[in-house]
Amino acid sequence: MKFILNMHDKVRHLFKKGGKLEAVGPIFDAADAFMFTPEHRTSGGAHIRDAVDIKRVMMTVIYALLPCFLFGIWNAGHQYNVVNAVVEAGNAFIASDVFAAAFLNDMIRGLIIMMPIIIVSYAVGGFWEVLFSCIRKHEINEGLLVSGFLFPLILPPTIPLWQVALGISFGIVIGKEVFGGTGMNIVNPALLSRAFLFFAYAKSMTGDVWVAHIANAAHVDAISGATPLGLLAEGGVSVTDAITSGQISFMDMFLGTIPGSIGETSTLACLIGAAVLLITGVASWRIMLAAVIGLLSTGYLANFIGHSPMAQLPPYYHLVAGGFAFGAVFMATDPVSAAATKAGKWIYGFLIGMLVIIVRVANAGFPEGVMLSILFMNLMAPLIDSFVVDFHVKRRMKRV
Amino acid sequence: MDFKIKKGFDIALAGKPDVDIVNVKPSATVALYPLEFDGLRQRLKVAEGDVVKRGSELMEDKGNVDFKLRAPAAGKVVSVVRGARRFVEKIVIEVGDIDEAEEFKKFSADEIKSLDRKVILDQLTTTGFLSLIRQRPFSNMADANAKPKSIFVNAMNTGPFQADAEAVVVDDPQAFRAGLDLLTRLTDGSVHLCMSASTTGQTLKSAQNVELHTFSGPHPAGNTSVHISRIDPMGIHDVVWFVKAVDVVLLGRLFLDGTIPATRIISLGGPLVKEDARHHYRISAGGELSGLLQESLSDAESRLLNGDVLSGTIMEEDAYLRFGQSAITVIAEDKERQFLGWTMPGFNQYSFTRLLASSYLPFLKKKWNLGTNMHGEERALVLTGNYDKVVPLNIMTDFLVRAVLAGDTDEAISLGILETAPEDFALCDFICPSKVEVQSLIRQGLKDIEEEGI
Repeated sequence: MKFILNMHDKVRHLFKKGGKLEAVGPIFDAADAFMFTPEHRTSGGAHIRDAVDIKRVMMTVIYALLPCFLFGIWNAGHQYNVVNAVVEAGNAFIASDVFAAAFLNDMIRGLIIMMPIIIVSYAVGGFWEVLFSCIRKHEINEGLLVSGFLFPLILPPTIPLWQVALGISFGIVIGKEVFGGTGMNIVNPALLSRAFLFFAYAKSMTGDVWVAHIANAAHVDAISGATPLGLLAEGGVSVTDAITSGQISFMDMFLGTIPGSIGETSTLACLIGAAVLLITGVASWRIMLAAVIGLLSTGYLANFIGHSPMAQLPPYYHLVAGGFAFGAVFMATDPVSAAATKAGKWIYGFLIGMLVIIVRVANAGFPEGVMLSILFMNLMAPLIDSFVVDFHVKRRMKRV
Repeated sequence: MDFKIKKGFDIALAGKPDVDIVNVKPSATVALYPLEFDGLRQRLKVAEGDVVKRGSELMEDKGNVDFKLRAPAAGKVVSVVRGARRFVEKIVIEVGDIDEAEEFKKFSADEIKSLDRKVILDQLTTTGFLSLIRQRPFSNMADANAKPKSIFVNAMNTGPFQADAEAVVVDDPQAFRAGLDLLTRLTDGSVHLCMSASTTGQTLKSAQNVELHTFSGPHPAGNTSVHISRIDPMGIHDVVWFVKAVDVVLLGRLFLDGTIPATRIISLGGPLVKEDARHHYRISAGGELSGLLQESLSDAESRLLNGDVLSGTIMEEDAYLRFGQSAITVIAEDKERQFLGWTMPGFNQYSFTRLLASSYLPFLKKKWNLGTNMHGEERALVLTGNYDKVVPLNIMTDFLVRAVLAGDTDEAISLGILETAPEDFALCDFICPSKVEVQSLIRQGLKDIEEEGI
């Protein structure tokens, strides 16, 4: 790999101060740091340092997202093929096995749906990130690696690409860069992007959008595009109808073989991701656990006081329904926008779980409340921390 | 009392010095660095060519003319090196053949036990040895006019690496006992002697007239801030003095002999020190280090540190021993760039986190040859609460750092910055993935508060 390094060294001066290409210096620095760890040495403070930097932390989150990503690809393709009754023998010449052929068919279709969304998300997000870095003359931050990856996973597979571009632009520019870039943002940029689309282009984000149809297809299934929560939210459908005879079981929801946002249908994949994040210590177990406790306890409470089908849903169904697992594992735990104190993390997580149920049960307009709950608690996190810190200070004062 | 500290982290750095003491032959030249004495307003009292005794006055403090810096050895002043703004950086003395010493007051061990506080402080001030006693808050030199609530003697060290207190104390138990007796005369409160739970020697374990405490656990269990917070927490207007056990020996010698101690004991450690050279050394006070280092270092670009790798300061190559120095650590200047380092498994990389392959295979490598590589670039500070994992103080570190960054001194004080010293946050520097220099921030925060007044 020495020759790549030599190549970089040869052109490095062009991008430094006074060089011809100084204006795009951050691009070179990012490429350089991508290929080789930076050569910075300690000058103040501790003279030796941990080998882990933000890049490594962000990459670990990406690795944790991979199960959701891969399952999402398969599921997007699978739903498409089922709803549109695509004949799965198409790939029989590749794999003699019928199941393998079906799997391949689903994966290929999934990739066709998913890759353009990912590419647009990274390309447009990257454009803003680079632009701001060049103007502000700082390094290109790693935050986009995660935001640009999270965002496509929480979109419906039918999302128009121009909306992907618009959404990520809003999230990166308004959600992050105007505050000063990664680490300074108040809410999670990927969630904000989704919220922007949700309110600006509600038609693309709700209702019959969860599976792509072939235009004028003859065999469109009756429940094609609806998510389980969507079914419940529509009045008149009872819990038993929706869950048991509505062709969607707890297991379907746990495994994720149902329509929904691309990466968030599978609770199992989220659990694998959670395991990666918790073993490596990247995400806070307090937030995840508190969110689950908040969800279950409020869910039980809803069983006692509510009468709608949603309120009567056994609480554990809420764990696997909609985007809760994905949100609790990957969104709520974003350290930049979450609470930072220990007690604060418990409160923050618990309230997210509680709000999810309140939105799901009490608000007929929004069948899903995870996105809004997390965004709302992102805004509340500094307040929670402030209370915890004040309490801590008061206790300290009493000590001496 | 016995205290068990849970939070913290022991960095598995290679190069721990052995506890034996090796004699180094007396230095041909010695030096004094006046800038090491913080707040000293320099008035030079010698010129190049002057002949001085060991203990002769070299410089006095214009702000407090009783405070003087004394020659570490007898001989001839050969150079006075001046730096920025004409401050004297270094006074070099060529050591003469006869070791003539200036006489100060001399006391027997029994007399010391009942000495008057003022007599002790006068002698410490006029010899400059008062600067070995430090004062919280702010960790400056002790103020002779202050009434310390208590005095903490630190006889342990958990960071990599400092002189081993027990080894140094055992070398001269008589001076150590005398030094402790001196300290008991300086405060109406208690003198707390804090040592490691694994201490075996009786010199420390059966010290008289002081309160004994043992601490165990990972670094920074050996830091004075941790000891103070557990034993006798400071109120906002309290003043506490603290001193290293290795320096207590010097204080004792000063009063028992009535002369400035001619030698010091230092530790030499770190991955770049040859294995057979990792010892404690008895070396002339202010002595040259180049001879010792030439023999001891492996061939590699190295960084020479006064103190440990976490909080030490960089020394130039042809350095002399500093007045308050008790350790030299040498590490490699590491400029290596790793190919695709952000995703390589990291078998050969060391981390506090569990993000690298090496975190799961601790048996592969027990001790690490860590160098000066940052392993990343500075990024925005993200409040995660992770710093608190390595700071065993009743402090919310993330928020303290944020308060300092925001210049909110009131908030910093109420969060407890006055109980701390920058060294307490050295591990935060180490573990921070954003590569934020927390120690420097806290140092700046303390300085701002000191200038503004509480």
